[in-house]
Amino acid sequence: MVARSYSRGRSLLAVMRLAVLTFLADPQWLVPSLIAPVVFGLVSYELFAGSGPWFVLYAILGAGMMSMWGQTLYGSGWATGQDRHLGTLEPTLTAPTPYLYIVLGRVIWNTLAGLLGGAIVFVVVAITYGHPIPLANPLLFLLMFAFVITTLAAVGVVFAAAYVYTRYAGFVQNVGEFAFYIGTGCMFPVVLLPFWSNPVSLVLPPTWALDALRYLAIPGYQGFSWGFWGDMAGALGTTALYLGIAGTVFRRVERHVLEAGDLNDW
Amino acid sequence: MSKGPAIHTRDVRRVFESRKGFFFNELVRTEALRGVDLDVADGEIFGLLGPNGAGKTTFTKILSTLLIPTSGTVEVLGMDVVKDAVRLRPRIGLVLGGERGLYNRISARENLRYFADLYGVPMERRDRRIQEVIDRVDLTSAADRRVEEFSRGMKQKLHLARGILHGPEVLFLDEPTIGLDPKSARETRKLIRSLVADGVTIFLTTHYMFEAEELCERIAVLSRGRIVARDTVAGLRRLVGGDRTIEVEAYGFDEGEVARLKHIAGVSRIVSEEFGPKLRLTLRVGTTDLSLDTIRNQLTNHAELTVRERRTSLEDVYLDLVEEEAT
Ligand SMILES: Nc1ncnc2c1ncn2[C@@H]1O[C@H](COP(=O)(O)OP(=O)(O)O)[C@@H](O)[C@H]1O
Ligand SMILES: [Mg+2]
Repeated sequence: MVARSYSRGRSLLAVMRLAVLTFLADPQWLVPSLIAPVVFGLVSYELFAGSGPWFVLYAILGAGMMSMWGQTLYGSGWATGQDRHLGTLEPTLTAPTPYLYIVLGRVIWNTLAGLLGGAIVFVVVAITYGHPIPLANPLLFLLMFAFVITTLAAVGVVFAAAYVYTRYAGFVQNVGEFAFYIGTGCMFPVVLLPFWSNPVSLVLPPTWALDALRYLAIPGYQGFSWGFWGDMAGALGTTALYLGIAGTVFRRVERHVLEAGDLNDW
Repeated sequence: MSKGPAIHTRDVRRVFESRKGFFFNELVRTEALRGVDLDVADGEIFGLLGPNGAGKTTFTKILSTLLIPTSGTVEVLGMDVVKDAVRLRPRIGLVLGGERGLYNRISARENLRYFADLYGVPMERRDRRIQEVIDRVDLTSAADRRVEEFSRGMKQKLHLARGILHGPEVLFLDEPTIGLDPKSARETRKLIRSLVADGVTIFLTTHYMFEAEELCERIAVLSRGRIVARDTVAGLRRLVGGDRTIEVEAYGFDEGEVARLKHIAGVSRIVSEEFGPKLRLTLRVGTTDLSLDTIRNQLTNHAELTVRERRTSLEDVYLDLVEEEAT
């Protein structure tokens, strides 16, 4: 007997390491998580530069968010879908580490990578146009930024759970991604969207977080009518909801897949 | 301290329900296991033999906590595979084998390192242990190459290395040599034998009788979700009809001839199969009195007739068992 039990911390690190190695072996993620958002950021700049610095910031926050989202959602859900595809879901589930920690490790890595992506978008745009992007409240902004990341991670865990649950999760994710870019106001202000799309926006925690971020960064910003604290409440509430869903779902997902016996389908 | 059985199952059943059709409106029910009772002793190498679709993989997955049985008792190392799954997992190993199941983009060593971490192989021993299993499965020179460059045989070795990495007490091997070239298959069997010497209990499935015969002390034959025989290799040999097997070959036989052969005293069963342009009848004979000439005398008018006796192989016993179940 060589091993008796696992350690959560070590498992998380192992998962992150695997994610990095896989990423380095095939850096195709640079497209959704970095190249697309940078292009989007630069285009936004051109479009909004005439409307003043704050509006530029508004657009750039959207682009950064898009980057983080691409990384978090794609990275977490995709890696789990990939486990199914490669047939590694079965050996992974036979290991003593609960699958939740595998997913958490991935979400953490992807979130960190997304954060880096967001920062890069910000810097690239600032350097390209050679003019500093103003921040109304840098410290709070950073804190808020970390919070946005958490809201993203919460959604990431739910998507990853969906991938363990069913091989059809890819379909759900593609729809979800589209709803996200539009719904959360990354691309357009939410208030410009038709009324029917608002429920979609409101159930996604990052909608609230991004709006709060804009309140914080842009003086005189008018987002949702409930202001910064309204946004914060919304973001916290929806994040708690997602984490709750993720926790419950995970407990059931493992049982479900062991009952269904379709772990190897893809 | 005397140990209980490594594996103990009673009346294990498993039903799969899947939806078919364009609107998923057709419910298909498959009874993959229909009441399996099995005991495997500690330190034993046990073979579960059966044709495709018999339920071998289903049973292996249930034993290794990857699938929940529909009903029945399943204990491994005295633990319930459903209730105690988390405690049981570090003490067992599973090798499903095949082309899939590995991270292709990274090296063999990195694959092993990932699983060593998930299994909690002690930090101070991890890298040494990884090297140990790499050497053991003979992947030493390929250990740092990406798995996507590996041949089928090398992938199988890596599957085995992962299965034994954490030092399991019971190892489950599902068709460990399927799809391998003869040389890799031989090496794999050699490795399996060496594991038993280490005291690991091995449960392996195969659809090759000779493999079970070569490796296993005891064998159970699974057919359509039921165990139809369970014995030692020597015991199985005695199981069906007599010990003699007589083969008769010609360019076809008419029904009258086959009926006459069946009526010869001592002939317990006849299996017919195409053999190139010829037809071959395999007779199981339970008496030493029957001479080959008695058979020849029943089959006149054949331009080319071969009648010969050969040793009854375990393969014959196996085919008889599986066929009996099917009819
Ligand atoms: N996930 C599944 N869904 C539906 N039917 C299944 C599933 N897995 C196996 N089966 C069915 O159960 C039976 C036994 O399969 P299996 O255990 O794979 O047999 P073996 O490994 O002996 O070839 C087969 O009829 C197979 O089609
Ligand atoms: Mg099988």
